[in-house]
Amino acid sequence: MAIHQFLTSYSYGDAIGNEALEIRNYLREKGYKSEIFVLFYHPRYSDQVINYLEYDKYSSEENIVIYHFSIGSKITKKFLRIPDKKVIIYHNITPHHFFLDYHRILAKDCYKGRVELKSLSDKVDLALGDSEYNESELKEAGFKKTGVLPLVMNFEKFDAPAIPVFNDMFSDGKTNILYVGRIIPNKKVENVIRIFHLYNKYFNKNSRLFIVGENRGFERYYSALLNMVDKLKVKNIHFTGHIPEDELISYFKLADIYLHMSEHEGFCAPVPEGFFLNIPVIAYNEGAVKETMNKGGILLNKKEFLKTAALIDKIVLDKGLNEKILKTQKESLKKYFKNLTGKILLDHLNMFGI
Amino acid sequence: MSDSEKKIDLPFITAGEDIDVNEIMEYIEKRIEEKKNSGVLKQKEIDEIEDMELQPLPDFLEIPNVYEQHLFNDEIVKNYDPPTIELESDGGSGPKGLMKKIFRIIRKPLMPFIRSMVRPINNELKAQINMDRKYIHQFAAGIEYIKLLHNTSNNLIVELSKLKIEEELLKTKIKVLEDKMEFLENRERAIEKKLYQ
Repeated sequence: MAIHQFLTSYSYGDAIGNEALEIRNYLREKGYKSEIFVLFYHPRYSDQVINYLEYDKYSSEENIVIYHFSIGSKITKKFLRIPDKKVIIYHNITPHHFFLDYHRILAKDCYKGRVELKSLSDKVDLALGDSEYNESELKEAGFKKTGVLPLVMNFEKFDAPAIPVFNDMFSDGKTNILYVGRIIPNKKVENVIRIFHLYNKYFNKNSRLFIVGENRGFERYYSALLNMVDKLKVKNIHFTGHIPEDELISYFKLADIYLHMSEHEGFCAPVPEGFFLNIPVIAYNEGAVKETMNKGGILLNKKEFLKTAALIDKIVLDKGLNEKILKTQKESLKKYFKNLTGKILLDHLNMFGI
Repeated sequence: MSDSEKKIDLPFITAGEDIDVNEIMEYIEKRIEEKKNSGVLKQKEIDEIEDMELQPLPDFLEIPNVYEQHLFNDEIVKNYDPPTIELESDGGSGPKGLMKKIFRIIRKPLMPFIRSMVRPINNELKAQINMDRKYIHQFAAGIEYIKLLHNTSNNLIVELSKLKIEEELLKTKIKVLEDKMEFLENRERAIEKKLYQ
């Protein structure tokens, strides 16, 4: 028996793509044949994935196909036509309204994705969400057999040392605030900038904000953010763009606070990553964020920028509070270990008699 | 109850059991009050920052051709209702009709004289009508030409708007490159420093 995976896109550093790779490696370790079939992929992964149109050569009624569903795409049609047993892992779809002003095509794909999700509800054998929040959306869409499969978190990558020269560049006594994620409208990077501006202006002039993440495809949003930075006349904001993993680790290791103000998250991977690297995390309570934080860190229930800036000030200055937050984060991290996720997946797939 | 409604009842922050949220809130309120009292922090400024909206550049695929629908609107042509012109009747009953009949009888003996006076004007008008008939197609082509000019101007405006947006996006990209360059220079300096040490 083989357990294959379908994926719409595998871009560099993509959390869903990395999860598919982790699952494939885990399944291979356990003795299953496993491949990843994709529509688009970064050239770096060309030896790791296969074009989805070639799946007919692998297809069999005995096989299980896991479809990582996060956007409307041509793969859905293919997935519906194959005779294999069907499982979807739902990573959530960003509501299309976030993209209307910035990316019409993506807005259309997201809208289409929600429609496709409903069309899949009576055609798959099992639907898994990577959080309870996502599972609840699956139930709402009409899926009968559902479950939760926590996102596979690969914390081993953080064992690599930080780039030494980064310490020389940024160890200047400044308080470093970090945001990690794509520069897209639902992440509300503008709110991170607003909070940093207030913190920098009224509480700690000796501070800096790192905005780490890909902005390609959303140049108009990025340009609007730069305009806002100009209008606020705020300094010490460093947009890094897309960076390799070793640099990401270095930014995480430089950070004093991790701040996340996103208004839609199906999981929010940087939160457990921040937990793992012992950085106090402040995140806005929206979507699956509360569940991902799992009682660790500080959860913001309201968008009050000045109070959030004062909260950062408190955490930076109060070492005791800092320690307590890190302790809660360590506790909450326990549910994210790779072997556990792989085991949960196989437990779910047991229904097919594997 | 929606998510945002649910949040109204929640405190500003939620944290683990070991963390004293009340103490944090007291600190936050105290710090903000201090800043306000010292005059450093003005509520108006905070409100301005909170209300500040992002102003994205328009997507040039969305720039509409505003003239086209007015210039080439088939609906207007289809629904065109020509004004009705009331033609003068030959007379009819009533005092007005009687007056016209009397006037015609008086005018009749004078008609040859009137015609000789009016003929040159009549000839001129006829010549004009013939000329109009001859040139009507050129005139119609002229209208089309004006429409074309309008459309060209509009397209020029659209293209210029697109170029402006593209220029803004290129500026953003240059800014990104500048930032990257600055970062790389700093990195280079830091590496050099380390090497020479």
